[in-house]
Amino acid sequence: MKVLAALGAVLAILTGSARAQSQPLTIYAAASLTDVFRAFDPDQRYSFSGSNALETQIRNGAPADIFASAAPLNTQRLFRQNLVGKPVTFTSNRLALIVPKSNPAGIRSVYDLRRKPVKLVIAGAAVPVGGYTRTVLRRMGLSSVLSKVVSQETDVRAVTGKVALGQADAGFVYVTDARAVADRVTVIRIPAWAQPRVRYEIAVVSSSSKKAAAQAWIKTLLSARGQAALKEYGFLPVPGA
Amino acid sequence: MDRRRFVLAALGAGSASVAAPWLGSAGAATEDDLAFANFGASTELLVRDFYAKAIDANLVGAQTTSALKHGRSAAGWHAKAQSDLLTSAGDVAPLPEDFDFEWPLRTFKTKAAMMAAGLAVLRALRGVYQTAAAMASEQSYRVLYASLAASVSQQIVALGGAAAAEPFPVALDIESASDAIERYLG
Repeated sequence: MKVLAALGAVLAILTGSARAQSQPLTIYAAASLTDVFRAFDPDQRYSFSGSNALETQIRNGAPADIFASAAPLNTQRLFRQNLVGKPVTFTSNRLALIVPKSNPAGIRSVYDLRRKPVKLVIAGAAVPVGGYTRTVLRRMGLSSVLSKVVSQETDVRAVTGKVALGQADAGFVYVTDARAVADRVTVIRIPAWAQPRVRYEIAVVSSSSKKAAAQAWIKTLLSARGQAALKEYGFLPVPGA
Repeated sequence: MDRRRFVLAALGAGSASVAAPWLGSAGAATEDDLAFANFGASTELLVRDFYAKAIDANLVGAQTTSALKHGRSAAGWHAKAQSDLLTSAGDVAPLPEDFDFEWPLRTFKTKAAMMAAGLAVLRALRGVYQTAAAMASEQSYRVLYASLAASVSQQIVALGGAAAAEPFPVALDIESASDAIERYLG
């Protein structure tokens, strides 16, 4: 009888442990990672949004296990406050200008934004892609086109959607987001010399109860398999890695 | 600090301030000034990459190899001058790792192909420097860009010979020059 009870206890521990292992992680990730993360691992629970909004939610105690940001600024701020573990850079990206396939404003180059009347849509300044957009415009001497912005969105997906639906003449997005709507938009290249340094960072959230599993997930993302998945969706390797 | 080291340090500080008067105006840099510096610093990194690969290719004689080495050194100094201007103005300077320099497959297989690629990039760069020398907001910037245009002209003649010398080199806006070099910047 005692042996049976002991076996039962061991079984209970094992099944409990297995259940903990199989429970999905809650991953807060930049909106631009939506397609690739879902394809890479559909079994986890995701919350996609602007990295700045996710940072705020984690600071306010949101139950996330992992935070993947489109800009080091957001992860590093949380790291300095011990709200996440040490962030690691896991991929990079580039910006592009997109216009609807119909291209009603006749935009053929980024410089056309200055020359022609356009309805431009970009992300807000606090959103990583919004910050990167402003960097591109400053580097190219085109900040004056900010006066043509008709809408500032909360994440890159909203910018992409507005242009794809023809609600704006042009918008700045990541190359990876442009690929996702390639049938509805035309991509206009931004010169390499004007590209900002887009780096994605990921970290385990300090309040997570599944730190080991979260760490293992990040390790898989950094592995050849994870990097191949990112590459398939148009993300770039980390320069110098 | 001993006297010799003190004198050397003072000389170093003095030469830095004489050599880079444009840094004193960095706070007044306009957006167009920063665009010139961003384009120039990035393209100089590309030029330096060209010279490094051209030297490795070993397709030319000793005299031209010497010119390639001088060109590589000049490109490094030019990139640094403009990077310093950018950082002094609170901007982020480009780094070599920001680019995947892409030279067409046969660029470093023959001397003719190598020189043609180098001259194409240098002419685009000089064109922008000429425009910057006329358009930059501060006199110290205009002097800087006039110097850079002169230096790049020397490199063009060193690579292309007397036939590469032009009586009136064409000034270019950044957009046109950008189109000319974009294929190499990756």
